[in-house]
Amino acid sequence: MTRFDISRRHLMQMGLGGVGAMALGTRGVMAQDTSVALQLSWLHSVQFAGSYIADERGFWADRGLSVRLDAGGPNAPVEPPVVTGNALVGISAADYTASAVQEGAPFRIIGVAMQNNPFAIASLPDNPVNEPKDMEGKRIGMPLANMPVLQTLATLNDVDIDRIEVIPTQYDAAPLVAGEVDCLLCWSTDLPIAMYVQGIDSVTMLMADFGYTLHSQTYIATEDSLANRRADLVALMAGEVMGWEEYRRDLDAATDLTLARFPDAGLDRPTQIEQARRQVPLMFSDLTDANGFGWWTDDTVARNIETLALLGMPVDAALWDRSILEEVHG
Amino acid sequence: MTALARHDLPRQALGVLAVLLLWHLAAQAVLGSYMLSGPLAVSAYLADHHALIGRALWVTVQNAGWGFLAGNLAAILLALVVALLPQMRVIVAAIALVVFCLPLVATGPVLRVLYGPGPGPQITLAALSVYYTTFIPLLVGLRAAPASWFDLMRLYGRGAWTTFVQVRLMAALPYLMAGLQIAAPAAFLGAMVGEFTGAERGMGVLSIRAMRALDVDATWAIALVAATVSMLAYGVVGALARRLTHGRPDILLATAPERARGNAMLRGAGLAGVTLLVVLALWWVAMEAFDLSRFFAKRPDDLWRFLVTAPGAEANRAALWAASSQTLVQVVPGYLAGLALGAVLAMVLVLVPWLAGAVLPVAIALRSVPIVTTAPLIVLALGRGSAGTITIVAVMTFFPALVACIQGLRQAPGQALDMMRIYATSPLMRLWHAQIPAMLPAFFAAARLSVPAAVLAVTVAEWLATGRGLGALMAMTASTSNYNMLWAAIVVVAAGSCLGYALVAWLERAVFARVAPEQLRG
Repeated sequence: MTRFDISRRHLMQMGLGGVGAMALGTRGVMAQDTSVALQLSWLHSVQFAGSYIADERGFWADRGLSVRLDAGGPNAPVEPPVVTGNALVGISAADYTASAVQEGAPFRIIGVAMQNNPFAIASLPDNPVNEPKDMEGKRIGMPLANMPVLQTLATLNDVDIDRIEVIPTQYDAAPLVAGEVDCLLCWSTDLPIAMYVQGIDSVTMLMADFGYTLHSQTYIATEDSLANRRADLVALMAGEVMGWEEYRRDLDAATDLTLARFPDAGLDRPTQIEQARRQVPLMFSDLTDANGFGWWTDDTVARNIETLALLGMPVDAALWDRSILEEVHG
Repeated sequence: MTALARHDLPRQALGVLAVLLLWHLAAQAVLGSYMLSGPLAVSAYLADHHALIGRALWVTVQNAGWGFLAGNLAAILLALVVALLPQMRVIVAAIALVVFCLPLVATGPVLRVLYGPGPGPQITLAALSVYYTTFIPLLVGLRAAPASWFDLMRLYGRGAWTTFVQVRLMAALPYLMAGLQIAAPAAFLGAMVGEFTGAERGMGVLSIRAMRALDVDATWAIALVAATVSMLAYGVVGALARRLTHGRPDILLATAPERARGNAMLRGAGLAGVTLLVVLALWWVAMEAFDLSRFFAKRPDDLWRFLVTAPGAEANRAALWAASSQTLVQVVPGYLAGLALGAVLAMVLVLVPWLAGAVLPVAIALRSVPIVTTAPLIVLALGRGSAGTITIVAVMTFFPALVACIQGLRQAPGQALDMMRIYATSPLMRLWHAQIPAMLPAFFAAARLSVPAAVLAVTVAEWLATGRGLGALMAMTASTSNYNMLWAAIVVVAAGSCLGYALVAWLERAVFARVAPEQLRG
């Protein structure tokens, strides 16, 4: 079968990006820029607005970097493009990264976008789950592959997991709304917002508030890149940090930029602005206020390692490499 | 055919109207349940978002179009190779089947890694979804010319090349068109699934977004547009076929099974062994040639370790077995139900011909709605138990069976039917003694081709809706980097589909040997 021309679209994208940047009066993409790719973990949305800001405002171009943002999706792999070098950096999560490392991928976490894990238990107000104990005697909807997550939450909070009835569902709020299940395992920043926008009240119990400490939306790179492409990694992360700080300053502008940049993605403003708001407390904390976006400490890593051990993924602190962030914030 | 279609027009309109009314009533009945959106809400959504949907449709149609072209060209080339080198036929057909049985859920991410960003995976998945259903009828078509035509060419002193072009290719044209017609909606589905691997725009992207957002109006609007386009593609290719050819092939997709020579079991085992060796070699050589990373591109020896020699191999086998049995108990009843339903409905339509005009458009519609949008909706409506998944498999199997059986029933010899009429035989007896036996070849052809379709349906339903079985296992192992398990599941799915296909073919031979030995080629 023919290998279809993939560079044409890439060139076009870069060309359009350049035109856009020049129209905004900032530096255009220039020929000597180094081209790298950032593999996102999901479809384009405000979830990655900090990166769009970095791109549009020239935070990367100023550092001689041109970053292609590769969309993810329900059947899109994040780790393989990083392993093969198609993408310099990928957006993963501590547990996904730990399993990839177990399978032999030479990854390090070089930044943490979500300090708090977005996993939550969503339920309806007339039959709410306010704390993990409330799940006993209820039906929970989730993919069976998430059993270790539920087991970990149960262990952390002394909940009898045998008293929770697991109904296999895919990632969808409809089973909860239709009354097929009493609660859902989901991200606090998507299905609950879908219900909110549809006018359905829901109760969201953030698992991070009950001991489930796990970094999410982590930036991963290979050991090889850390050794040989440090300048590119520093430039990429510096742009990310500035982009996300801008994001926090003006959520409306970040949302508008996302909507304008992806008119074909089927995004709507009410959902996107709400998601932009709800992910702020997950991404920014006293820790990042003191040390800058993406930061972590030995203490947060130690708690992550405990959670990962409960999930059946033994890792040590060497999985996290802060040297890039130290250069960025230094 | 055309005259019949024109005559059926009022009935078809009536059928569409009835469906719209039923749809509206059903939506009213479940109002507020976020399951079903009625025709009015869907129209309103389409009116508000026509530009967005139009742009997405254009992207998906282009990718589907390129895939349609590439896949069918590949099928034609493959069929020509086989026509010129007949001794290669069995092995080429076997390998083509294996490739067709690779599950889209798993090939998608692998293609994405190979291509990087862009439309590569969408186009390739569309091509993979179509080539087999063109290749098989074409194989039949290239041999469908009567011997007298060849004699005529020889009498006129024409050479092998002219004979090939004038006789074989012309005889194959109706068969090619029959394959292309089925290919059109399949290419659209393939392109949509391809968009799940990280596309920026298209109908697949919009449908993911709509489902996540609990936007029922959008979900049903996308499903409706996708179905309409698929039906149009089916209709346009069909119309083109009627223009280009003088009548449809006698039996859609039916390849007469070989009469068993020597020990059939032994020959079957030999073919399976050779196929296995060739596939393993292709697998290994392709990965080495492209220098694919062992992190995700597992070689046969990696799987051997994972499933047999490595510590924990037993647990890996147990996980794989558990998922496979979950899938098996849903795919088998769904497959059988779909076939039975198709055959029974075809018989009803033969007994009550005026119903056909109203029923057939609905059946084509059901089949054309891309399964990625219907699977979650059907599961939502019928529950997470087995009923939903079995229904999805049945819907996928039902349509090819129905079409094939209707054509098969029409093959009953006219003289036999006339004679039965003269003796005042009841329509039921005519059906039983003349029409059903005539239907069997087409029925079995559909049954064979429906095996991969049923497996596709069950894995998609598990992946997108029920979260269990092999479909969910494949989707989740990719996100936990357990690529050994992903490849093991690919092997199980492909091998299972091929086994199912072989089982049906064996059953077919056994039945014909008993009731219609003239159907077997010697």
